[in-house]
Amino acid sequence: MKNYSGDFTIPVSREMVWNFLMDPHKVGPCLPDLLSMDVTDNQNFRAKVRVGLGPIRGAFDLANVITIEEPGKAASMSVKGGGMGSGIDMSAKMFLEDLEEQQGTLLKWTCDVVVSGPIATIGGRLIDGQARKITEQVFENIRNALISMKNEVAVANEDEE
Amino acid sequence: MAINQCELRPMGKSIHRKEDPRFIRGQGRYVDDIVLPNMLHMSIVRSPYAHARIKSINTDAAYQVPGVKLIITGEDLAKLKLAWIPTMAGDVQMVLAVGKVLYQYQEVAAVVAETRAAAVDAAQLVEVEYEALPVVVDPFRAIQPDAPVLRDDREKKSNHIWHWEAGDREKTEEIFKDAPVVVSQDVRFQRVHPSPLEPCGCIADYNKGTGKLTWYVTSQAPHAHRTVLAMVSGLPEHKIHVISPDVGGGFGNKVPVYPGYVCAIVASLQLGQPVKWIETRTENIASTGFARDYHMKAEIAADENGKVLALRVKTLADHGAFDAAADPTKFPAGLFSIVTGSYDFQQAFVEVDGVYTNKAPGGVAYRCSFRVTEAAYLIERTMDVLARKLNMDPADLRLRNFIKKEQFPYQSPTGWTYDSGDYEQTFKLALEKIGYQELRKEQAEKRARGELMGIGISTFTEVVGAGPSHSFDIMGIKMFDSAEIRVHPTGKVIARLGVRHQGQGHETTFAQIIAEELGLTTDDVLVEEGDTDTAPYGLGTYASRSTPTAGGAAALCARRIREKAKKIAAHLLEVGEEDVAWNGEAFQVKGLPSRKVTMGEVALAAYTNLPEGMEPGLEATYYYDPPNLTFPHGAYIAVVDIDKGTGAVKVRRFLAVDDCGNVINPMIVEGQVHGGLTEGFAIAFMQDIPFDEDGNCLAPNWMDYLVPTALDSPHWETDRTVTPSPHHPIGAKGVGESPNVGSPAAFVNAVVDALAPFGVEHIDMPIFPWKVWEILRKSGVTE
Repeated sequence: MKNYSGDFTIPVSREMVWNFLMDPHKVGPCLPDLLSMDVTDNQNFRAKVRVGLGPIRGAFDLANVITIEEPGKAASMSVKGGGMGSGIDMSAKMFLEDLEEQQGTLLKWTCDVVVSGPIATIGGRLIDGQARKITEQVFENIRNALISMKNEVAVANEDEE
Repeated sequence: MAINQCELRPMGKSIHRKEDPRFIRGQGRYVDDIVLPNMLHMSIVRSPYAHARIKSINTDAAYQVPGVKLIITGEDLAKLKLAWIPTMAGDVQMVLAVGKVLYQYQEVAAVVAETRAAAVDAAQLVEVEYEALPVVVDPFRAIQPDAPVLRDDREKKSNHIWHWEAGDREKTEEIFKDAPVVVSQDVRFQRVHPSPLEPCGCIADYNKGTGKLTWYVTSQAPHAHRTVLAMVSGLPEHKIHVISPDVGGGFGNKVPVYPGYVCAIVASLQLGQPVKWIETRTENIASTGFARDYHMKAEIAADENGKVLALRVKTLADHGAFDAAADPTKFPAGLFSIVTGSYDFQQAFVEVDGVYTNKAPGGVAYRCSFRVTEAAYLIERTMDVLARKLNMDPADLRLRNFIKKEQFPYQSPTGWTYDSGDYEQTFKLALEKIGYQELRKEQAEKRARGELMGIGISTFTEVVGAGPSHSFDIMGIKMFDSAEIRVHPTGKVIARLGVRHQGQGHETTFAQIIAEELGLTTDDVLVEEGDTDTAPYGLGTYASRSTPTAGGAAALCARRIREKAKKIAAHLLEVGEEDVAWNGEAFQVKGLPSRKVTMGEVALAAYTNLPEGMEPGLEATYYYDPPNLTFPHGAYIAVVDIDKGTGAVKVRRFLAVDDCGNVINPMIVEGQVHGGLTEGFAIAFMQDIPFDEDGNCLAPNWMDYLVPTALDSPHWETDRTVTPSPHHPIGAKGVGESPNVGSPAAFVNAVVDALAPFGVEHIDMPIFPWKVWEILRKSGVTE
């Protein structure tokens, strides 16, 4: 098992971040190299992502579950699945905190990743850096999406004004 | 310079290899070259997890792939009572996983389709739902009481498989209690893999009309495989025809029966069509028989003058998920108790415990006679540790402790009777030839200049040629071997043997033995192996056993033919049999060398002009049960230079002086030694199959599991001494494995010798440059 963690600030309110994280339609597209997704309900969605690691090229079919740990403050997301004889089991936890003076939200995350099959073996030398990169990419995408949402909201508000 | 095959008296000559022209020209015929009408192809679905429960298997999508004919799962095999099969080590193993998987790349389902591509595509669409379970990869963790029990199919609820010991514990302890000097060293022999160029594979061809199964398979032991198959499947043995065509290297990897074989056979039985299964490289390395993986501790008790007194060895053997080691039945740790090596210990005690972990099963004898490589490496490494402790030259320490020539046959404290040897002579030749004293002087000068040079010695003893049937069997089948020789009317010979070569040159060397005995040339003798419908029963080729067993059978079978031929010769020469003598090339009348008949003339008479009442024909079969094993030995010396900046080790010189008894073909022996040294070099410096904590195999391909090329390999110098085996019909001992057995210790001893000024006493293999670099960095030699 590999563990990754990180934190970043987003200049939007905690409520907005929370609503974003609780919406599969919004979180799903933050998975890098997403090919397609299918939302089952508010907590479950399936996603197909393109995978390329060393000599391995193909698609992973992932089942994603979002769970509320503490409303508005803490949530977890599990990602399980695989393809091409390989598997991935990812368990992420996210914690939200208000920044001082309404500067936005601090998002802390930790992620445990278990990778199995050829992707962990044939791509063995690459997996650590790649898994870290993909995990960080997910949160980077969430951050960027929220920032652009904020901008859109701002633009929309300006338009209304 | 090799000579052609038309010479009489070919024994001991470097005859050109008869098999080379077809191999060099790409005309070999391997399993994957064989294409049968209506042949289907099989691909295997493997587990990505090292330990997981199987919750469901869904084959619907896979069946939709055009051309898919059959998908087999463990549940299907269970209905046929074939979900589990016995291993050679007395354990059982899953063919296709039932209930759970126990190692990564374990076989879960088999897909049969009209093309290989369709089979591979469909295999990727088989949906298997797993529930991951706790993984145990460390054998020391596996034997802790709270470790998860991996094999819940067994009655014994523990990961401990067996305990085995040899020697006298109490007497050994007694000596250790009062010994003036004791050294102790932990030594790991890492998990490696034989990794033959040709992976494993087969074609199962069941003919529903005749009820006969023809099985083309990459097999080092076709007869043994036929018997196992008959016992497991219930098919009558005479209706199983095993053909092992040209084999592209085995090195022990092609001794076991693998799940893919069983699945291909089941598929062919069900479909009535030939089914071909050929492994990928990754499948070969990650799922078929690995080698070594011994965690060893050796202690030597000695006196102050360096005379060794007693040896104590404790070992943990990591067998993976099933005990599928290829060892004789009564020897779960193989012949590991040869660990006293070339030295005259008063007492020794050796114990080994086998354990299960979540890794692929195996424990095959990779160019090694059943765990002899582990033993030779351990004792040769520990002797150097003792030399360092006593501040003695490792060459002097060895000379002081060798079993003396006059002590043979030598009874070892762990129960072996060494047949013959002259260790001092062999070692002194090696020391002289490499210029040992000059090298030590050079080393001292270089050390004074801050340069890193090391000299490593290994003076090993092997035990090969299993074996005498009173002690050695595999699954109850005694380990004799056999030859059948037919002399045709024109004096040409076909010989069939129960062994199966994979590059060793049997077609030449056994032809030399037979030609020598019958007064023919090797060109007159065709050697055929690997077809169970024609060859006599034998246990196959591994553990350097072919020459000690089948080579003996070939010589004695030819002598049996000569006995009859002598009677015919007497008839042709019109003298009594007692007046006929064999001169090595022909039968002659005693005292009248000009009155003679050749074997060719006798052969024609055997079919055309026989003495009255004699049975026509000239052929014989011989089953040879050797009275003892043979004990080849050697003295290897490596010279290395180390780059201080990178930690890279350059093997500047390597000399191998082998003593394998009488030599049949010096060129082939030299080739065998070159090949084995290259493998030993790879093991010492390049090869390891590690696992991460989740049980992922981290070297299942040739990007991570390195195989040396000609560019990587050092230049090999070779020589030999000859101490014939007193009990073998031609005095030969076997050589194929000596260089793999003997060389790792020489390489490691050389590197440790180079680094000794920094207090280094041991480095575990493989010695990657980064390991050396870290030592140099910690020692302040490099930044």
